[in-house]
Amino acid sequence: MPTKWVLHWHPNPGSTVNSQILNEVSQCAEAINGVKDGRWKATLTLLKPNLREDQSQPGEYPRELLGISLPEQPNKYYFILRGPRIVTEADSSIQVIMEKLQSYKSRIALYFEGYQYQLGDFQLRVGKVVSSHSENLRGIVLEVEYLPISSMEKASQVLGEFVDIWQEAVLKRSLPGSFMHNEPNLSEYGLGDNYTPQHTAVQYAYVMAQLFASQSTQAVRN
Amino acid sequence: MECVVQGIIETQLDVPVLRKVHAVPFVGPVASEVRLLCDLEHSEPTWTVKHIGGAMRGAGADQISVLVRSMIESKASKNVLRLFYGLGYKLENELLRVGFAFHFQRGAQITVTVSSINKMLKLHATDEAVPVTPGIQLVEVTAPATPENYSEVVAAVSSFCEYLAPLLHLSKPGISTGVVPTAAAAAASLMSDGGGTTL
Repeated sequence: MPTKWVLHWHPNPGSTVNSQILNEVSQCAEAINGVKDGRWKATLTLLKPNLREDQSQPGEYPRELLGISLPEQPNKYYFILRGPRIVTEADSSIQVIMEKLQSYKSRIALYFEGYQYQLGDFQLRVGKVVSSHSENLRGIVLEVEYLPISSMEKASQVLGEFVDIWQEAVLKRSLPGSFMHNEPNLSEYGLGDNYTPQHTAVQYAYVMAQLFASQSTQAVRN
Repeated sequence: MECVVQGIIETQLDVPVLRKVHAVPFVGPVASEVRLLCDLEHSEPTWTVKHIGGAMRGAGADQISVLVRSMIESKASKNVLRLFYGLGYKLENELLRVGFAFHFQRGAQITVTVSSINKMLKLHATDEAVPVTPGIQLVEVTAPATPENYSEVVAAVSSFCEYLAPLLHLSKPGISTGVVPTAAAAAASLMSDGGGTTL
């Protein structure tokens, strides 16, 4: 299994993300000789407990449950509870079970979609982030995948060097922001050095948190 | 969707263990119930989340001798128990089923399980389980079905139950049956038949 870093676009203070930035980023991938290889899509769903008024005791139920589907695992689904640091893999049919149970309801979904590019031992995925509530661009994500190695520790230096090259290419375009990689503490989720789809799911959960946090800050500023 | 009947037999012999399933029904908000099954047969336990839905109702359902109900399963990673606790679900009870599973292809994909049902005296203590009904084993006959083919599956399961009639009474879950008084003789007759009679 390859190793992967998931980065997100962090706009400079006072600026927002827009489709022109997305186009520039896509051109970056091609400028560093990335070969466009097809489309990809991941979905993150935020679910909330479906409680009656008399049931809403603080602490008894988590504020939110995250559900994630990944393109490389079409028959699987991932649940994340950030508080207790739980990531669970299940068959896709778990979504039908959760709908039948009616204990958690979907409130909003984020769609990460775009093109993927091959560069030797690397695969890049550039994706826009849109929500189920609006067609406005919410963000941009970048997946950098190093194919030959499944050990996160061993792949770290190579991935870091690639991301440095990428950042330089983006810098040349003088865009109002940059890509950030805030790696969550994966060991707190019981995840080891060997990379798995659960590692990807947790990274996406943290990207979602960063996107919502930066947009709250933007809203306060405005 | 699945079709299911149950019955009981009295055990005469020690039955070697082929399958152990630790079943944990959970109750959560909105009075929703889900079952977590842990298959203990192999060195690495595997978990399945199972939702059993409402049974088919109405005059048509009353006339058939097989229960037809919705059922959805999902394999899950081993921390699924922690996930459901984290979601606010409460463990209602837990049971250990020990026994055999047989598979037949007779007009439908039929599974027969013969199990002793055991309760655990301490939470998750599968080594300290005691039988709920000593000397009595539960027989379940199930077959997967779809809304389009359930009539054929019902017919196949009914027909299969007729074959098993000399050995045990089978009926919808919840309807008690009792053992067949001549079951031991019928079983002995089958086993002494040089293995020529197969179901």
